[in-house]
Amino acid sequence: MTENPFIKMQTIKKSFNGVPVLKGVALEVQKGEIHALLGENGAGKSTLMNILGGVHQPDSGTIYIDGKEEKMLDPRISQEHGISFIHQELNMVSDLRVYENMFLGSELRSKVGFLKVEEMCKQTHEILAKLGVDIDPKEYVRNLATSYKQLIEISKALLHNSRLIIMDEPTTSLAEHEVSRLFGLMKNLKKSGVSIIYISHKLKEIKEVCDRYTVLRDGELVRTGSMEHENIETITKTMVGKAISQERFLHEHPFGRVVLEVDGLTSDAFKNIDFTVRKGEIVGFTGLAGDGRTELFESLFGFRKKYTGEVKINGQAVKIDHPRKALKAGLGLVPRDRKENAIIKDLSVLHNMSLSSMGNFEKRGFIRDKEERKKFQFYKEALNIKVHNPRITIDKLSGGNQQKVIIAKWLEAETELLIFDNPTQGIDIGAKQEIYQQIVELAKLGKAVIILSSEAPEVLRICHTINVMFQGEITARFSAEEANEEEIMNYATGSKREVAKIG
Amino acid sequence: MANINVKEYQPEARTTKNRLSWLWAEYSVIIAFIILFIGSSVLNPRFLDINNQLNILMQVSIIGIIAMGMTVVMLSGGIDLSVGSVLALAGVISVLALNASGSILVGVLTALLVGSFAGFLNGLMVAKGRIASFIATLGMMAGARSIALYIADGGSVSGEVSGFTAIANSDFWIFDVPVLIFFAMTALVYVLMHKIRFGRYVYALGSNEKAALLSAIRVDRMKIGVYTLIGTLVGVAAVIETSRLNSISSSSSGAQYELDAIAAVIIGGTRMTGGRGKIIGTLFGVLILGILNNMMNLMNVSPHLQGFVKGLIIIIAVVFQKRE
Ligand SMILES: Nc1ncnc2c1ncn2[C@@H]1O[C@H](COP(=O)(O)OP(=O)(O)OP(=O)(O)O)[C@@H](O)[C@H]1O
Ligand SMILES: [Mg+2]
Repeated sequence: MTENPFIKMQTIKKSFNGVPVLKGVALEVQKGEIHALLGENGAGKSTLMNILGGVHQPDSGTIYIDGKEEKMLDPRISQEHGISFIHQELNMVSDLRVYENMFLGSELRSKVGFLKVEEMCKQTHEILAKLGVDIDPKEYVRNLATSYKQLIEISKALLHNSRLIIMDEPTTSLAEHEVSRLFGLMKNLKKSGVSIIYISHKLKEIKEVCDRYTVLRDGELVRTGSMEHENIETITKTMVGKAISQERFLHEHPFGRVVLEVDGLTSDAFKNIDFTVRKGEIVGFTGLAGDGRTELFESLFGFRKKYTGEVKINGQAVKIDHPRKALKAGLGLVPRDRKENAIIKDLSVLHNMSLSSMGNFEKRGFIRDKEERKKFQFYKEALNIKVHNPRITIDKLSGGNQQKVIIAKWLEAETELLIFDNPTQGIDIGAKQEIYQQIVELAKLGKAVIILSSEAPEVLRICHTINVMFQGEITARFSAEEANEEEIMNYATGSKREVAKIG
Repeated sequence: MANINVKEYQPEARTTKNRLSWLWAEYSVIIAFIILFIGSSVLNPRFLDINNQLNILMQVSIIGIIAMGMTVVMLSGGIDLSVGSVLALAGVISVLALNASGSILVGVLTALLVGSFAGFLNGLMVAKGRIASFIATLGMMAGARSIALYIADGGSVSGEVSGFTAIANSDFWIFDVPVLIFFAMTALVYVLMHKIRFGRYVYALGSNEKAALLSAIRVDRMKIGVYTLIGTLVGVAAVIETSRLNSISSSSSGAQYELDAIAAVIIGGTRMTGGRGKIIGTLFGVLILGILNNMMNLMNVSPHLQGFVKGLIIIIAVVFQKRE
């Protein structure tokens, strides 16, 4: 280790409302290294980064940059020190165009003050191309898929000539090949002397790209060291305090009758979709960005209305044109991109949990707070939700814990068929296990489950049947036994098609 | 789901400093009210006179009832500029119905009906027509006033049924009836917003409309409901306004009520963009406006300057909100 690390944080302490979140944490990042920041949901990773990024002020502790003590009084100061921050939640303005988002607050202007639109578009295009993204810089962000938004968020940080880039879970909605492009870019940055702090719950990624790591647990530093001498298992152990198996979940049970039958569903995002889901079955859908799976299930859930084809629930043809009707018909959807689609940030944790199933908590039309608290206590333990006081607004929770509350909200709706879109976004490996457990439990109870994920390993781990989509079509369908990651990739990238097998 | 033993949640101990800052954040409007109240008592001894106090309540009751509805609309992320005009329209039509039928009940019901129908139309425009609430209710503001003027031929209409004036001019124990109606409406809106699911949905809608829709909430119906509710409350206010003087003016009644109602809501701490705010906050916002008016009268501030003071207070309140 060199004498003077580029960034050095010392004995950082921070409490929220009297609850200590960081209890004297230290962090050192060298010039030109990729440093993994690890820890369970709610360990304090984002809070530590928010302090470095000037979003929060520490209660005590010091920050040194290039050996000089600095105070990060607000995000602008942090930026002036060459620190870029990719936040855990997407911060796009949907009603602005791609290039406008990229240059928000740092627009390029000519000498007389006119915006240099073409120049900004050109730079946007170039930087997105580096990540292998080909979208029109003048497109409105609201029309883009989540993974593109995430890539734009990353590009935005690359735009400035940063010396340190903080990446707080940048890959939660990216597919594998998008991730490897990003890694290529990160390695190039590293060569040019840029440091990166990388937060992720995907340990495989960490192993692949990080040089050193620091593990936090409950706001304390438990371990820091070089990646070379570690394997994933020991790191996992320091993180969650126990070993986590990466085995497939074994759960053989007979399936019941068909719950959902989809026939020839077509819209501008997908075409000719046929599939069925039986009681007790866990069906996976995977593919790359632009495969149409999110649009498909948002249509089934009644959020999108423009589609043709037939949908049968329990053998009866249904026309669902509003999420309420979907819920009544027995469909639930845990949407992707929680900040935009699921979190009601002004409602408390409790009220977020009960929002889609108010009937469960009412007596003669009046809400019973006590029932809500009881139910929450149950989910808190089942899903290991870390929250001191469930009456605080949900945006005060760590990202992974927010996600768990959203999952609890839909488990509570007790629908016959539950669709999970990217359900483990931001969830740590220990808690992932618990969520998979819950899903398997649902299936055992005879509920049907659909899981959408950009991660092939995730669907491989818990699904009975796996559908691969490419550009709006289902290109392959495997049973769990015959599927493997490589085959899935072949179909997801469109290099193979297996039309005959379907139908 | 499975049975496990359920532990009651134990709030963790708070430090005094935290408690104070929490108190300020949650109840700044109440603290502002108390400061204003004490300041007024010191400045002018007549302020504390019980009759003056009851008078303040009487004066704020109409705006107070409208402000309750406005709170709900603003929590849902909208705004209603048409309340003053709809009040005049509901008043005019209800007086005509009252005189034609000779029945007080018919008069009252007509006011409620006209108010809620106008609100329903606002709701339809906002929810189904996807028109910004600001524009939709601005249209209603002009339209309702114009119809009221047309029906009353630009003048006032007076009630001809004895007993109608009793609604606003009798009292019960020490309170005037309008004050009691104001309290009752406050309680009603409180229950709607905090004890049943309607309120949850309104907060959710104002906070994140897309997520509310994806939570299987009937967002369109909620919006229509919210505007219908404020319309109905405006109908109630119209009954009091009309009954007070037994007449209503198609040209001047209700003028600028939307400003006072919105001011009370903002002073009460409700966020302009929706999702955050409290009924209790609005109640104190209404009282603060009432005390300010009262004090300016007691201290002989020119009525022409009173608008300036009110404007200043609104801006200060918003600046405070921004700082959060
Ligand atoms: N503004 C806030 N107010 C109150 N508590 C907060 C606030 N921000 C964070 N916390 C609490 O601090 C703890 C740490 O949160 P943090 O977001 O740093 O976790 P994290 O390590 O990033 O977790 P995740 O992997 O889920 O993103 C959590 O328990 C959270 O509830
Ligand atoms: Mg985090």
